[in-house]
Amino acid sequence: MYDKENKLIDSFTAGRMSRRELFRGLGALGLSTSAAAVLVNASATRALAQNGFDWKKHEGTTVRLLLNQHPYTDAMLANLENFKELTGMDVQYDVFPEDVYFDKVTAALSSGSSEYDAFMTGAYMTWTYGPAGWVEDLNEWITDDSKTNPDYNWEDMLEGVRKSCAWSGVPGAPIGSEDAKQWCIPLAYEQNNLTYNQRIFDANNLSVPTNIDELLDTAAAAKAVMDGGYGIGVRGSRSWATIHPGFLSGYTNFDQVDLTVGDDGMLSAAMNTDVSKEYHRKWVEMIQESGAPDWSTHTWYQVGTDVGAGKSAMMFDADILGYFMNGGDNAEAGNLAFSAFAANPAASAPTPNIWIWSMAMSKFSQKKDAAWYFLQWVTGPEHDLFGAREMDLVNPARASVWADEMFRDKLSAKYPGYVQMHDVSAPGASIKFTPQPLFFDLTTEWAQTLQKMVANETPVDEGLDMLAESVNRQLGEAGLH
Amino acid sequence: MNTTSPLERVLRGIAITLVILFFMFPIFWIVLMSFQTNATILQVPPSIFFEPTLQNYRGLITGQLVTDTSSLEIKFMGNLFNSLFLSTTSVAVGLVLGVPAAYAFARLKFRGSEDIAFTLLSFRFAPPLLVLLPLTIYFQQLGLANTYGGLIWVYQLIVLPLILWIVRGYFEDIPADIEYAYRIAGHRWWTTFRKIALPLAGPGIAAAALLAFIFAWNNFIFALVLASADKQPVTVGALAFITASGVQYGQIAAGIILSIAPTFALALYAQRYLVEGLSLGAVKG
Repeated sequence: MYDKENKLIDSFTAGRMSRRELFRGLGALGLSTSAAAVLVNASATRALAQNGFDWKKHEGTTVRLLLNQHPYTDAMLANLENFKELTGMDVQYDVFPEDVYFDKVTAALSSGSSEYDAFMTGAYMTWTYGPAGWVEDLNEWITDDSKTNPDYNWEDMLEGVRKSCAWSGVPGAPIGSEDAKQWCIPLAYEQNNLTYNQRIFDANNLSVPTNIDELLDTAAAAKAVMDGGYGIGVRGSRSWATIHPGFLSGYTNFDQVDLTVGDDGMLSAAMNTDVSKEYHRKWVEMIQESGAPDWSTHTWYQVGTDVGAGKSAMMFDADILGYFMNGGDNAEAGNLAFSAFAANPAASAPTPNIWIWSMAMSKFSQKKDAAWYFLQWVTGPEHDLFGAREMDLVNPARASVWADEMFRDKLSAKYPGYVQMHDVSAPGASIKFTPQPLFFDLTTEWAQTLQKMVANETPVDEGLDMLAESVNRQLGEAGLH
Repeated sequence: MNTTSPLERVLRGIAITLVILFFMFPIFWIVLMSFQTNATILQVPPSIFFEPTLQNYRGLITGQLVTDTSSLEIKFMGNLFNSLFLSTTSVAVGLVLGVPAAYAFARLKFRGSEDIAFTLLSFRFAPPLLVLLPLTIYFQQLGLANTYGGLIWVYQLIVLPLILWIVRGYFEDIPADIEYAYRIAGHRWWTTFRKIALPLAGPGIAAAALLAFIFAWNNFIFALVLASADKQPVTVGALAFITASGVQYGQIAAGIILSIAPTFALALYAQRYLVEGLSLGAVKG
């Protein structure tokens, strides 16, 4: 049925035809660009089927997925038919909005439900799910050659990202240690860097800031020229999510940590050092002088929407948020540019904290080996490349995809500075928090303290001392201090 | 004789207008938003003048949500149907169970009646999250998870106590002598309930049904935890417009308009019963 199309695609795969010629040919055969992209990937899937691995071992089996509504999911679903064809398996899925997604995951896991075999998760969440015994340590499958196809290439995953999904479960133990359990596998991830409005910067002769002091100055200068807008967007709601993006990325750049681990393994709050206090002072001043007037309500959505609408001149947040806001029907689509950001002038490179959307396997799944077939496919190089080239699977977690010229050209054409930003900051990108079971409670309190500082309810020094005291008390009550 | 002065009438008119404006402005603004694109909604400063578009409603009805970076299938109309089906059926079941029970609690004195009635009322006190985990486990064991039947059952936690307690108060307000007189005329108990008590309690039952419908419609957590994506009500479905790649304000506004329409129409139609039913049921003779 698709003989002509397949011949064209095979010619392209064999290097006898350019991508432009291929799509022109497929267009002449009546195929849309998106359909053509899936067919192109079908060719890669056929190649994968030839790698000697028994892809049909679980033919006829159905696995069920719980997925978050996200562009990464769109990429997954767009390519799903190729997985079904490759394995003969069926895949059913439930997609829930992000606002309620983790409630659904928690309810399913805590009740021991076998309804879902695998699900999307953030790495932070596995610090709860893993020790609770709700998810599988995927090392068992990754290291088993009889269950993992030879082209999976686990080492191709960016080291900081891969290790950020692994933890031993011992509070305070570093992520990715030798004895760490691989609770999840990255789908894609986001670094925190600067997204700025090139149009506003050019029109007002603003320079892209390269450290925290310049950031404060540029934000203030931008605010002065923004008619009704503001200088810089950062998150501010009373949530752990306020701490983890730009704020922690800059904080870590000054070699600061959230907790220290003693020789006895006990944890202690470390956010009230002199360096930390100075950083907090600057951060608070930046928000007071140049941040959103309703900063304390700002989450991912407000920060992104405002930079996309031209209401803020820049944001220090997830790079992929800037990527999304630079497209579609946003007023500033095409005007946004990207820059790696090292807050500390003495630092050699940025140290972005990262968020990772990843896949985990439910401990209660009745079809774990079959679920692993799906996981190794969806996190494998073939799907990762498809998602990055044809969909919005940014930032891909594999080095080989970042080396792909077609992907880099696509980014460079529409997202100025994005590739360079990634290349500069990726080596230092990882989760910067200390893994421990009180993560969400303690970081939420940290955000609350920031709110009080910005509202001038608490001086910075006093606020951080009180926060450290409270953190130590809570750690003590949990037997960790 | 009308003793209101013209000045007082004018001031009263202004006051009423201000109050209406205050309460209706958010609804008015949402209606305007539902006819705008994201770009016009987010313009700085906001403007009341714009070129109206039906794309938000079209997107919801055709099931294709066009986001900033992609096109996504949205099952909003399916969510709307789920809300209608779950709320209507739950209230119907609640009425069948609750009205006779309310009559029994109002008319018959039996051991433990108050305790049972209070226990039913306590369903309203318990936070849903408290019961959801055990419910999830039981539902899976009983095969009720991810079924409309299971959801309608669990929705009784919302509607049954409301119906029972509102209607009970109303039955208690109907003089028992009317029913006794009818029974002395040779009618059976069931006929008395059907021909005398039910018609007299009609406004109260309508009011209880309407309130129960609104509470059921607004519920969020039960379906989220106990059912899969295809059985989610509009309260969960509406969140699909808040995506990682952008917030679709226009579609949220259109979704709000579509989702409040059924309850709004029902409330308009039944408001006479609602006020009459609630006020009569609340006053003890």
